[in-house]
Amino acid sequence: MSPYDLLPRFKAQYDANNQEFSISGVVRPQAIDELGPSIALLRDAIGHVRGVLYVNVRRLTQMNNAAFHSFSRIIIDACRARPDLKFVVITSSVVGWTSRKFGRLSAIEPNITVEEYDTEFYPGQGFLEEGGFVPILRTQTKLTWRHERAILPRHGMRSGIVMADICCGIGDFAVLAQKEFQPSRIVALDHSISSLNYARRVMREFDIRGIEYTYGDASEMLLDEAQFDLVTCRHSLQIFNRPELILKELYRICKPGGRVYITNEKNSHCLGEPRAESIRWTYNEVAKLFGHFEMDVELGPKSRRYLIEAGFEDIRVETFMVTNLDGDPQDFADVIAAWADVYAGEMATRRGDGPEFVARFRQGFEDHIFAALHPKGYTGWPIWVASGRRPQ
Amino acid sequence: MGPVHHDLAGEPIFEPMIQIDMEIKAFVSAWKHCDYVSTYVARMISQNRSDSVHHSNLFSSAFNELLEVAFRTRHADGELACRVSRHGATDRIELTFPCVPEERQFYEEAVSQFAGMEARERYLNSVSGDLAPSREVVLLELAVDYNATLWIDDADGDAIKLVVDLPLEGLQH
Ligand SMILES: C[S@@+](CC[C@H](N)C(=O)[O-])C[C@H]1O[C@@H](n2cnc3c(N)ncnc32)[C@H](O)[C@@H]1O
Repeated sequence: MSPYDLLPRFKAQYDANNQEFSISGVVRPQAIDELGPSIALLRDAIGHVRGVLYVNVRRLTQMNNAAFHSFSRIIIDACRARPDLKFVVITSSVVGWTSRKFGRLSAIEPNITVEEYDTEFYPGQGFLEEGGFVPILRTQTKLTWRHERAILPRHGMRSGIVMADICCGIGDFAVLAQKEFQPSRIVALDHSISSLNYARRVMREFDIRGIEYTYGDASEMLLDEAQFDLVTCRHSLQIFNRPELILKELYRICKPGGRVYITNEKNSHCLGEPRAESIRWTYNEVAKLFGHFEMDVELGPKSRRYLIEAGFEDIRVETFMVTNLDGDPQDFADVIAAWADVYAGEMATRRGDGPEFVARFRQGFEDHIFAALHPKGYTGWPIWVASGRRPQ
Repeated sequence: MGPVHHDLAGEPIFEPMIQIDMEIKAFVSAWKHCDYVSTYVARMISQNRSDSVHHSNLFSSAFNELLEVAFRTRHADGELACRVSRHGATDRIELTFPCVPEERQFYEEAVSQFAGMEARERYLNSVSGDLAPSREVVLLELAVDYNATLWIDDADGDAIKLVVDLPLEGLQH
């Protein structure tokens, strides 16, 4: 049981700069007086805005009908009293009932519109969530797992724990972790419906139990606080333009004394022999390409700083290098081919790169593959692992 | 989702998931019991749904409304019984609570009018209306927004048994 009576259950705020009223948490009053201050805040906001008032309910996890009715009344009345005013209610696709329930309001008053905020959290969203990355993730996890299975116990992984894998992608890591370490429960969250469908299909086909896949936004999760012994988030902080927001959430859902484990890359440090120069040039360009979409694939060595700034203690950092000698060199080559496909394909196209650049860019990947498969060649892809403990 | 069973007459068999009983006096002694029971039960029964977190959020939302309805009963004695059972994608909530005869009649009438387009209309009207949502509207919303099927079953003595079938698994992403 949570310290039920001590937690404030909901919060209402008004941000005058953005003309945004937001209400979050669990709003289940017995009598409307309990909402007094929040209602007054909304009234006051309506009195001050011009044009549009944004009503943000993205983090509203529960609201009973009594509360819904009293907030709706105020908004509907305001529409009638001030036809110049528009209301935009911002819901999240992550909270199942809000879009439907608030959506009803727009049928009542045309000046109320309801927008599901989600589709564009950050610039790289599109290609990360829509299929193209699946082959990349598959091949990557196969290679990184060989290292991580030995590393994870140093960062809090052990049998019987309750763990979460946030930004789980297609779920390979969760499945491998489940088999190897037998945590008692794994919650695996991602914002890509196609990846989750894939993950669920795998789970059904292989009759895997104990993993709960859930759709969600890592920066605002429906998960309760302090419930996991270990929270993993792999190769993902680096894709957000504000990784600190995600870390804050990882911290929140982690138990005091539990650990948050992150892995990230520094793409410009990928290497290979022979043809080192061409390879280096291309991976420097990879970092710039992601930078263009506000993703920092150079984040790896910054992990320590991010963890410290998020409030973690006992921070542990290590690196490992995936190489063509880890197993079948063809596996390494497959990863590079998957990268080349997306980076020199869709991503370069979206940035508007010309054919000359793309040809040289692609050549570096081909040289990397050449080096990986070369009988005397050596190729490497470095990964930074870091974890921190949430203070008691 | 697990195997789906039917009995010999072809009626689906709902497998029991959880049951909570308490004195109605104890239940109505604190409003937060509605929130607490709905959150707890939602979590317990959602773990093996395809998206446990979402299922639990939706279930809690619907179940809490039902508990708030029971909370408002005018009959002060007897038992509150909540039973949740499952058949495939549908979760069934059976909520038995004491009520006075007029209330019983009110529920029976309310529930009998839930079918069809008018239900939606009536629900919309209630949202824009002045009055705080009545118990009828609360039930109506379950039918309109959650695709729930509701009916009243026999219960012993001065009690009513509200049965709600919630096909939440189908409402999800
Ligand atoms: C580079 S992939 C890493 C996936 C996985 N951890 C792995 O190592 O294979 C990044 C993942 O983050 C997911 N993602 C992107 N934005 C998200 C958000 N706001 N909330 C949750 N997941 C998100 C993407 O769908 C994608 O699966």
